[in-house]
Amino acid sequence: MIVEMAKLRILGPRRLLTPTLLQLQDLGVFHLARVAEQGSLAPSALSLRQLRLRRQLHRMDADLAAAQTALHCPPIRARPASIPSLVGLPAVARLAHRVRREAEALAAQLLALGEERALLLKYKDAFLAFGPLLRPDAARAGLRAYYAVVLASQTSLVPKVRALLAQVIGDGFELRSRPLPGGDTALLILAPASTSTRVEELLGESGVAEMPVPRGYEAPTLSEALPRMMERLALIPAERDQALSTARSLRDQHATALALGTAIVEDALAELAALELSGVTERAFVLEGWVPRRLTETVMRGIAGSPDAPISVTQIERGLWADEAVPVVLRNPRIFRPFELLIGLLPLPRYGSIDPTPFTAVFFPMFFGLMVGDIGYGLMLAALAFLLHRGSAPDSRRRAIAEIATACALFSTVFGVLFGELFGNLGHDWFGMHPILLDREHQMKVFLILVIGLGTVHVLLGLLLGVINAFRHSRREALGRSLSMVVVVLIIAALLAALRTLPHALLTPIVIVILALFPILVAVEGLVAPVELLSTLGTILSYARIMALGTASVMLALVANRLGGAFGSALVGIVFALLFHLVNFALGLFSPTIHALRLHYVEFFGRFYSPGGAEYRPFGHGPHSAHRAA
Amino acid sequence: MDVFWTTLSAALAIAIPALATAWAQSRIGPAAAATLAEKPELSTTVIIMLAIPETMVILGFVVAMMIMLRGGA
Repeated sequence: MIVEMAKLRILGPRRLLTPTLLQLQDLGVFHLARVAEQGSLAPSALSLRQLRLRRQLHRMDADLAAAQTALHCPPIRARPASIPSLVGLPAVARLAHRVRREAEALAAQLLALGEERALLLKYKDAFLAFGPLLRPDAARAGLRAYYAVVLASQTSLVPKVRALLAQVIGDGFELRSRPLPGGDTALLILAPASTSTRVEELLGESGVAEMPVPRGYEAPTLSEALPRMMERLALIPAERDQALSTARSLRDQHATALALGTAIVEDALAELAALELSGVTERAFVLEGWVPRRLTETVMRGIAGSPDAPISVTQIERGLWADEAVPVVLRNPRIFRPFELLIGLLPLPRYGSIDPTPFTAVFFPMFFGLMVGDIGYGLMLAALAFLLHRGSAPDSRRRAIAEIATACALFSTVFGVLFGELFGNLGHDWFGMHPILLDREHQMKVFLILVIGLGTVHVLLGLLLGVINAFRHSRREALGRSLSMVVVVLIIAALLAALRTLPHALLTPIVIVILALFPILVAVEGLVAPVELLSTLGTILSYARIMALGTASVMLALVANRLGGAFGSALVGIVFALLFHLVNFALGLFSPTIHALRLHYVEFFGRFYSPGGAEYRPFGHGPHSAHRAA
Repeated sequence: MDVFWTTLSAALAIAIPALATAWAQSRIGPAAAATLAEKPELSTTVIIMLAIPETMVILGFVVAMMIMLRGGA
């Protein structure tokens, strides 16, 4: 459900604005709203000093974030309980700047070492291949050495180059080649220095590129550069370890201080943002904002003025703020709360509308269970949910996913019992299980009728919630929606009477009532009403996907078992069947989730959901405080 | 012969929507990837957009099944 909110106005002498804000920040429940300009009441503007302070704080924030990222600091959960004094800010600024500089220098050094190592490793293979070929005395003998690597796909170039060299400079050259581990070929050509121009032209025309000597290892020949490169390669790990050790000690030394600094800076930024939201006159200040109604007393008691300068906290009448962007807080019973995660994927519901979390908590796992409907897959999902749950923090996203998965696993297992399925027909073959509700393999028509019936209930519930939602805002809209719902119910009843599920005698009276209601519906809802009706009926048919995916799931399980039994070896058959079931399980996680979500977001929410609620961001300590929104 | 035509009709009832769904998703997929690269917060919308064309093949499957059941194949 959506928590009831109250809008409060806090009035006091202007000199107490900052202390009052600090008290509100400590309370951490007051969602500040901008105070509207009115007469002598004007929005509070920051002084030049405060604007300069804000620029410095943003720089410090960037320095702290960069330092923590460069040092891979773990997130700190515990934050200081009270607002730290601004006296500490210069120290924080100096620390943040210094640690950022050192951390980024270390990160850059590690990056450069990594790149250098990767480059040298490329040459290592060539060095090992060229080792026996290297001729340090080549220059002294009036020869010039050319080193090249021919790609694996171009090995035909080697005899071609040899033939061209023989054609251009006769027998006065030597060409040696060695295969490299990756399939490429290392090539060494020794030719008289006097023919260097012609040889270089020939290599260029043949598409054979000489191996360049990396920067920093310049030497007259590769034979001189390569040993130096290999020596350097051997030294890099020690340098890297040294840099990592320095980074670790820097992190151990400053991680807590950086986290504390971040908290100080965030709090200071939040205070400045809160100041901008307040309104002031020459002598007084005004603060306005929302709190959950049950916390109204907490705020009233928490804001303390002084005997000579009292502070007044009053509640603003609901009629004066009903149309504003009221922050929305969802609060549901513990069992439904994980499903707020699924609602959070959409824009928040508007304040005063209906929170769909409880309905999603019931129908989402039910639809999922109907699609998967297998004891084996349900237990596998339960095991997965258990693993996710282990080590997850309370109220974390991971914990919520684990709890949703648990509910889905429970419904899958229950429907597995009702459908008599354990990894397809293994339950029947091994343990003599029988379907209690229906046999999904053979009673597809019954399954289809079941899910269409369920879809009808779901859509009608959505229409009913739409009527309730509309009733809170506009009686005329509520009347139109009620009429639409009644006509949908009558059309379904007429279809059932036509199919003789209901007494056939009811068909004519129902049709007459529909025809009588139709003009009223068009008059109230407009010409779009017939289209809406058709859309609603189409929406109900969309629930056939539950049956389609459910049937596909059971058929895949049966195929896995039959193929597993088709192998001569029992072991191979079992392994194959297990793999096939694993694939089916993976499919059974994604498709049912997506389609159950779609049935909610499109078919169900489309009937009543009103997005547009603002996020509740109480002014307090920490990254979710007001300055992020301001 | 009846079984042949029933089976062929059922196969076409699912094959044609399957091709249509595949074509639609092939157009949505790249657009979705591009959208997510720029605005990851639209992932829910993207998932729904990708799931919408699947309605065709799902309804095709239902029709195919009805053909098979009524045709006694």
